Amino acid sequence: MVSLASQPEPVNSETKAIADARPTRQGPASRLESATEPSQITATSRHSILQTQPPSSLVPSTRPRALVEDSEGDSTPAAPSDSPRAYKRQRIDCQTNPPSGSTVLSAIDRTSCTQNPSTDRMFIPRPDKPSTSSVSIDTISEAGPSSITLDKAPRSNGITTINGFKPNGSSPTSNGISKHSSSVARVSLPGTTLYDDPYVDREEFVRLVIQSLRDVGYNESAATLEAESGYSLEAPEVTEFRQHILNADWANAESLLSHLTAVDEEAIWEAHFLIGRQKYLELLEARKTAAALQVLRNELAPLSTNAEQLHALSSLIMCSDPEDLRRRASWDGASGTSRQTLLSEMQHFIPSTTMIPSRRLAALLTQSRYYQREHCLYHNAPMNAASFSLFSDHHCDREDFPCVTTTVLDVHTDEVWNVAWSHDGLRLASASKDKTAIIWRIGPDAEPSSRECVVEFTLREHPFPVGALAWSLDDSILATSADQLILLWDTKTGKCMQTLDSHSETVSALVWLPDGSGFMSASLDRKIFSWDMAGKLRDDWSGVPIRVTDMAVTPDMTRLVTVGMDYIAIPPTMADASRGVSREPTPPPPTSNGNDAAVVGSRPSENRMIVYDLKSKAIELSLPTDGELTSVKITEDSQFALINHAPDEVHLWDLNEGRLARKFTGQHQGHHVIRSCFGGIDGNFVVSGSEDRNVYVWHRDTGVLLEILPGHGVGSVNSVAWNPRNERMFASCSDDFTIRIWEPLPQYAAGGLLSSGNVGRNGKGKGKVRS
Amino acid sequence: MGMKYRRYLAGERIYGCSKCKTHLATIHSMVSRAFNGQHGRAYLFDGVVNVVEGDPNDRQMTTGNHTVRDIYCVKCATILGWKYDRAYEASQKYKEGKYILERNLLVDVQ
Repeated sequence: MVSLASQPEPVNSETKAIADARPTRQGPASRLESATEPSQITATSRHSILQTQPPSSLVPSTRPRALVEDSEGDSTPAAPSDSPRAYKRQRIDCQTNPPSGSTVLSAIDRTSCTQNPSTDRMFIPRPDKPSTSSVSIDTISEAGPSSITLDKAPRSNGITTINGFKPNGSSPTSNGISKHSSSVARVSLPGTTLYDDPYVDREEFVRLVIQSLRDVGYNESAATLEAESGYSLEAPEVTEFRQHILNADWANAESLLSHLTAVDEEAIWEAHFLIGRQKYLELLEARKTAAALQVLRNELAPLSTNAEQLHALSSLIMCSDPEDLRRRASWDGASGTSRQTLLSEMQHFIPSTTMIPSRRLAALLTQSRYYQREHCLYHNAPMNAASFSLFSDHHCDREDFPCVTTTVLDVHTDEVWNVAWSHDGLRLASASKDKTAIIWRIGPDAEPSSRECVVEFTLREHPFPVGALAWSLDDSILATSADQLILLWDTKTGKCMQTLDSHSETVSALVWLPDGSGFMSASLDRKIFSWDMAGKLRDDWSGVPIRVTDMAVTPDMTRLVTVGMDYIAIPPTMADASRGVSREPTPPPPTSNGNDAAVVGSRPSENRMIVYDLKSKAIELSLPTDGELTSVKITEDSQFALINHAPDEVHLWDLNEGRLARKFTGQHQGHHVIRSCFGGIDGNFVVSGSEDRNVYVWHRDTGVLLEILPGHGVGSVNSVAWNPRNERMFASCSDDFTIRIWEPLPQYAAGGLLSSGNVGRNGKGKGKVRS
Repeated sequence: MGMKYRRYLAGERIYGCSKCKTHLATIHSMVSRAFNGQHGRAYLFDGVVNVVEGDPNDRQMTTGNHTVRDIYCVKCATILGWKYDRAYEASQKYKEGKYILERNLLVDVQ
């Protein structure tokens, strides 16, 4: 810093110029001095010298003093015993440097001298190099870090570049740093921890802070902190190494590598291989095939133990153009992020104390955020700075959870069996035993008492009770099922456009495909059909081994999850399937279902979940279950399936692992079709109907039962549906002929709402608002 | 009552509703073919599925007085026969809890 301070350059001077200029004047000389007069100035005297140093002191007079600190290590290899930090550094250095560190380092000096005369600036930190290697020093010297910082200043710009910041912007502050930090005294603190607790190491913490400051461009503050704390972000060779990688200076990167790693030889080979691979790919990308071949033969081949890997690399020579190369190598090119990726791969070989992983503090804060989110049972807020302050633990109030009925839709004349929201969240379809489906308009008004809530269409032409409901992606078509029939309704006119009668038994599930190409239907007739938008049969999955009771497609279109009953091991033949009723190939097992013991010939229903690969129709998973399965829903990330399992359980299946991840218990389910769903931000809640009139809500990640919501009348709550556009609203439907809309307690006019009692919302809709 | 899917039977011979083919009983649960109903021959079964039972009422039959309930197909609501709640004659007690399906209203749905 001292030398920089002496630079008369204006603020705008280019950093590299500074860096390059310095060594020529002082670099070599200082090294000499440090070698020859290592112990002339004692450690105690150094403080005062530095403190009294005027910022503008001349180079010749200041430089030797700064150098003395660097040389201290040479003279006193053992760190002062009262400095806890020295112990730490000692440990690290032992890890990171081979015993014969000094000789190796001199080799480095040579390489940097001879091969990179243009990077003379690397010399500046050199004086402390020997000290690093000799265990005790480098940055131990109390003022050392600041001088290192100084020297490093231009390169630390390189660091910020990595993190996406423009390097140029920080050069002016380099001067500032030098001036400022030169006047900052190191603060000596007892102990090695940040506070009293033994878990946070002060050096680690300070280095994280320095890294964060650098990342956002507070370079002066970072330098000050380095000076004051005596800790530097990282050893200069780490900075150099990073720079070499990012600049594709492979030779220098590799020569530094062995000093940075603490792993055994074999692992270093692996690191060399990765660097060589990058080099090879970049040469290929630049169409320097001959040079690439050289690398492949002379560098990669001796390092690789994996012939297949080598073969794959060599085959890339055949790539027709760089684009082809990048695609086949799954590599984004020299101008992409591949060098940064290589750097983060290098992290496996370099101890994190030597090279701190990038944006480490942010990573820790993210972990903290996830931890708090996981422990927030009523979590229903988006993950942003507003809901996650660093100053307080995140917490969502129960009051914000939709646990109050704000609207009761009371128009159906029989049990309501199913509900489904349109994708825009403004309409709700309900399916009833009264042989109608109703499309309700639920207005966008946030205030329930003034919200429009009316029957838009009553879909009457169902010859049977209505079971399944599904909105097309653009909400223009509503598909409903009435026993074996599928009806398609125009949701703008409320007219039935088409009736599909290909199924021979009850259609239990209708699902629009996430790619908008059409929809699928599943039935108790052991068939799954795929239909196009116009209602034309596209595909016929005959031979499904279960009578499907529900089905869902993962949002990523990879899987079809079905649940059902009456599993038969050998699927019916095509001929059987085409006759509509499949033949049972095996005689019924002797035991009989407790429930229908009297019915001879009725066998225990073999319930099963079957997961298909959607494209190939191959069965990925086929699992028998104890009880009847009545509902399937899938998480947004396509990983989990939520399945109602009688008696009295809801299961969460991990589709990737093929295992049961969690059970939700408490609700009642015997012999009826009860459905559940995910809800809230990130699907944090699991909600289910129940045969005891209540709605049950659990915290998805812990399985904790959060709410048992009363309100519905006698009978079962058959289905629930969370509003896809409003994470604070869901609907439930019941045998009591009604649908309830659940929301948080209205914050305004709550009293008025409570007293409003049964109020006809609209002459047509007869929607009623209660509280 | 709640939503419920119809039950499906398995076996060599399944009797279904002649109108809508809903599964009703298997030959394994048949107790007797020697019954008569309103439409001719009728069968007595141990158990049937997918039927709705009507209200009980007393009926004088050739074998004496019985308390019976009409049974309807759960899907198409056709009256298919009846269920014996109670037989007044001691010799007819074996019918209690059993079901009559009229042959002419049945169809094989194998």
